[in-house]
Amino acid sequence: MSESTTTATLEISRETAPTPLAQLSMQQAINRALGEILESDDRALIFGEDVGVLGGVFRVTDGLQQRFGANRVFDTPLAESGILGTAIGLAMAGFHPIPEVQFDGFAYPAVNQIITQLARMNYRSRGRLPMQVTLRVPSFGGIRAPEHHGESLESLFAHVPGLKVVAPANPQQAYHLLKHAVSMPDPVIFMEPKARYWNKAGVNLTENVAGDDDRASLEGSVIARSGKHATLIAWGAMVSRCLQVAELAAEDGIELEVLDLRWLKPIDEAGLAASVARTRRAIVVHEGPHTAGLGAEVAALVSQSCFDTLRAPVERVTGFDVPYPSGDLEDEYIPNIDRILFGVQRVLEYRRG
Amino acid sequence: MAEISFPLPDLGEGLLEATVLEWLVAVGDQVERNQPFVEVETTKSSVELPSPIAGIVLTLHGEPGDVVLVDTPLITFAVADDSAGIVGTVPQEAAPKRRVRLSAVLDED
Repeated sequence: MSESTTTATLEISRETAPTPLAQLSMQQAINRALGEILESDDRALIFGEDVGVLGGVFRVTDGLQQRFGANRVFDTPLAESGILGTAIGLAMAGFHPIPEVQFDGFAYPAVNQIITQLARMNYRSRGRLPMQVTLRVPSFGGIRAPEHHGESLESLFAHVPGLKVVAPANPQQAYHLLKHAVSMPDPVIFMEPKARYWNKAGVNLTENVAGDDDRASLEGSVIARSGKHATLIAWGAMVSRCLQVAELAAEDGIELEVLDLRWLKPIDEAGLAASVARTRRAIVVHEGPHTAGLGAEVAALVSQSCFDTLRAPVERVTGFDVPYPSGDLEDEYIPNIDRILFGVQRVLEYRRG
Repeated sequence: MAEISFPLPDLGEGLLEATVLEWLVAVGDQVERNQPFVEVETTKSSVELPSPIAGIVLTLHGEPGDVVLVDTPLITFAVADDSAGIVGTVPQEAAPKRRVRLSAVLDED
């Protein structure tokens, strides 16, 4: 009883005082979040290749070194193992490092530090050395960049016990999820979809993504669009593409739900189950290679929780089992609108027996 | 547009300064990445410096003959706010195109 009263009061106060939205690109939203984190948390430090003087190759850390000094925002040598090693040592000393590896493919040289130290130091020390580290990784493809600049590492990191993995889909989520990730006592891999860095959207700087209860709305998945015939499950840059697909499918009378998974570890099993229980059909879309991609995990979870209601096997529309191709072939590799529509059609026309 | 300033890098090992010999670009010029924009002389050699980014020259910090200290601004560029950075290009937003149409007999059970 008292709970519902509180909710009602909160809703009224929101309606009477709507917060104006700031129009920000994702890089600006992240930049703003980083600035606020440095302001409010003395132990927060930002470092990586070109994040200081240059302000980041995507201008995400633009101006932060001028504002907060080279002791808190600083450039590192071109050695990702050193960047992560430094972060681990700083976290052991009580700091809250926010290192950056400049591109997804440059996380590989740091995988040893990430897996053998960062992910398990808390476990190894029986909780005496928590790793409050948020590793920012500009991720995924779509910008016509050379090799090692378009990789999807989510299934690699999601497989490692001790890591959390999150990928925002828009500026609003990037702003709030980053601030949330940095406040967590665990290491978080923060995968920024670089193809979406420049798209501007309204950001509510005072309230969270779903607009409901504070931190709760920053956990788990969100429904980006409601529908009843099938659920498209995506994260990062694929969310906006799936929203385009849902728009096109509506022309054919098919109402697609789009579920933005957001947290790739832990995965919101209940959110997945709730959506697919309604739509009874699911298609998971990701950029990374097909085999052992995170789509397989999602498909397994959905199959387990919705086995009795599913009308068709969970469909996967993904990248291919090849190294990420050069820019000219990118559009053939990343799931495009037609490949996703084909996946939807396969699920729609499937008949048992 | 945003401004990006490029400081004089250490061109040798532990050099402190360099002398501007000749500007190869002028204020207002569009400079491409890796395009030489200045020739400077250090105690070791004279070298042409390539531009780290593409942009329009806003300010040249110093006249030929002036000494510029390492880590102080050498040139300032105006760059587009949405410039992609060091690698890659900004994806162009286009209206979604399709060739596949959906057809389904939807059972509402």
